[in-house]
Amino acid sequence: MRGTGPAVAFFVAAALAPVVVRDAFLLDGLILILLWGASAAAWNVAGGYAGQVSLGHAAFFGLGAYSAALLGTRWDVSPWIGLLVGAGLATALGFIIGFLSNRLRGPYFVLATIALSQVLLIVASRWRGFTSGSEGIPVPFRAGFWTLGIADKRVWVYLVLVLAALLYLVQLYLERSRRGYQLAAVREDEDAALSLGVPARRLKVAAIAVSAALTAACGTLWAQYVGFVDPYYVFSVDLSVRFCLAAILGGIGTPLGPFLGAALITVLETSLRARFGGIGAGLVGIYLIIYGVVLVVTMRFAPQGLLPWLGEHLRGRPQPGPAS
Amino acid sequence: MHAIPQLIASTFLLGGVYALIAVGLTLIFGVMRVVNFAHGEFLMLGMYLAFWAFTLLGLDPYVTLVLGLPLIFGGGWLSYHLVMRPVIHASHNVQVFTTIGLSIALQAVALVLWSADSQFVRTSYYAVVVRGGGVALNLAQLAAFAVAVLFTAALFAFMRWSYTGKVMRATAQDRHAAALMGIDTGRVFALTWAVGITCVGAAGVVLAPIYPVYPSIGLQFVLIAYVAVVLGGLGDMVGALIASLVVAFVEVVGSYMIGTAWKEVLYLLLFIAILVIRPAGLFGQRGAEVIGT
Repeated sequence: MRGTGPAVAFFVAAALAPVVVRDAFLLDGLILILLWGASAAAWNVAGGYAGQVSLGHAAFFGLGAYSAALLGTRWDVSPWIGLLVGAGLATALGFIIGFLSNRLRGPYFVLATIALSQVLLIVASRWRGFTSGSEGIPVPFRAGFWTLGIADKRVWVYLVLVLAALLYLVQLYLERSRRGYQLAAVREDEDAALSLGVPARRLKVAAIAVSAALTAACGTLWAQYVGFVDPYYVFSVDLSVRFCLAAILGGIGTPLGPFLGAALITVLETSLRARFGGIGAGLVGIYLIIYGVVLVVTMRFAPQGLLPWLGEHLRGRPQPGPAS
Repeated sequence: MHAIPQLIASTFLLGGVYALIAVGLTLIFGVMRVVNFAHGEFLMLGMYLAFWAFTLLGLDPYVTLVLGLPLIFGGGWLSYHLVMRPVIHASHNVQVFTTIGLSIALQAVALVLWSADSQFVRTSYYAVVVRGGGVALNLAQLAAFAVAVLFTAALFAFMRWSYTGKVMRATAQDRHAAALMGIDTGRVFALTWAVGITCVGAAGVVLAPIYPVYPSIGLQFVLIAYVAVVLGGLGDMVGALIASLVVAFVEVVGSYMIGTAWKEVLYLLLFIAILVIRPAGLFGQRGAEVIGT
């Protein structure tokens, strides 16, 4: 299909990497790039394609992480079931946020999503009896595919690669299908779309629910891979910002953009941590300073993100993309 | 119940400080139509300013407040020109993410300069309690309240009676008409931003003797300010003032009835409830939330 060349190259390269690379550090980096890319792509479904910019997506990610971890430690349930439960809960919350998106726009909607994710953060960190409170939950290692106790990082690469490819295809669908065009119309001018008979409200809610379920799936896999769930991390505003930052940096509303953004951020983070980590923990902040400045500069000079910006400058013609 | 006078007093003390944070936020929104997601970071910087002045120079936080005001105002002015000016006519999303980028960078600067540990400004009057009329009040809290009232009153007077305030209100009402009347809206935006930052920075300085300071403390306070600002109607300064007291009341009474651990849930649920039932806020113009402005 037209325009998918770079994406195919990216996914094929990722699939071939475990064959060539044996270094655990590099494989870990690749897994994180794919996982953060998939999370950012899931955010992109709501934030980019439907234009519903949320800063509460950590709520869905955390639901996915907690569902699998709690079901696994308390009732010995497979994380795959946990993934489905998490996705189900996230979809339900997605419907609530979708309902809000039909009443609130712009900053009001952003604030509402932050508030919802903060409520979940407080519940997860204070409800000691059920969630172990602020201590978090260590995910027990139970060997086997069904219990996701996989020590071999190469298997993990393929596991998250499947999720990443699925997310890419979902976005491609939104880019090329009739529903996707309708959603773009709703994003650009909801009133005009409504007057043409586009079911704007239903489409927005559906996009947010799908985005929520997929974000939860990323959360489950992340928690099972990392092996620990910390409420102050998985429900934090910082994490929500991380998802949208990757998507915005790479190219909001483009299918490959979130993966490019996630790759850039992960490489920057890992290399700066490796360089400054030994000198003093405080210097880790330097990476965050760069991260913040990059966001400000991107908004100033390339608010569409790097991919559309590159497309414009390399080919000398504007790329289709949402007006952000 | 003998606790009632104490609860009322605590509500006013807390609400006064929330109001100072919230009026700056709502002023910036009203005039510039920008929700400042970096607002809490300026509060945090104000607290660190007091901390540095206290530990390095031995200055009392209230001395720092007076001496530091030009510095805070200048910092606000500078941050406007460096960060906000280029995106002042851009879309909401671009502005939201610009202020988020600013917030991340400022938090990280604090992390590098002062580390992630909590720092304290332990003044000699740290634990002094004022008693009277069946009410016990912390002296530093009382001082913070007094400063907050003073600042808020000064801001109201400035907006109401000064020529510049009038110009700012005109820009808030209709920026294009204001520009046609010969108002330099670019200058108005810079001034508005700097004044809003000064309010929240001053709040940070007076909060320093009461709360420990760490790089991410801003979020805790700014969430409350968002609740107050939306409850009062985005851009409505009187609304923000009253709503700050409402939020403080919910927090104080909630802490008293069900304990401090769950008080945040109360005001966040209050916030979501307002957004669902009456998003324009108690005093805001109905329909504003749908236009998104």
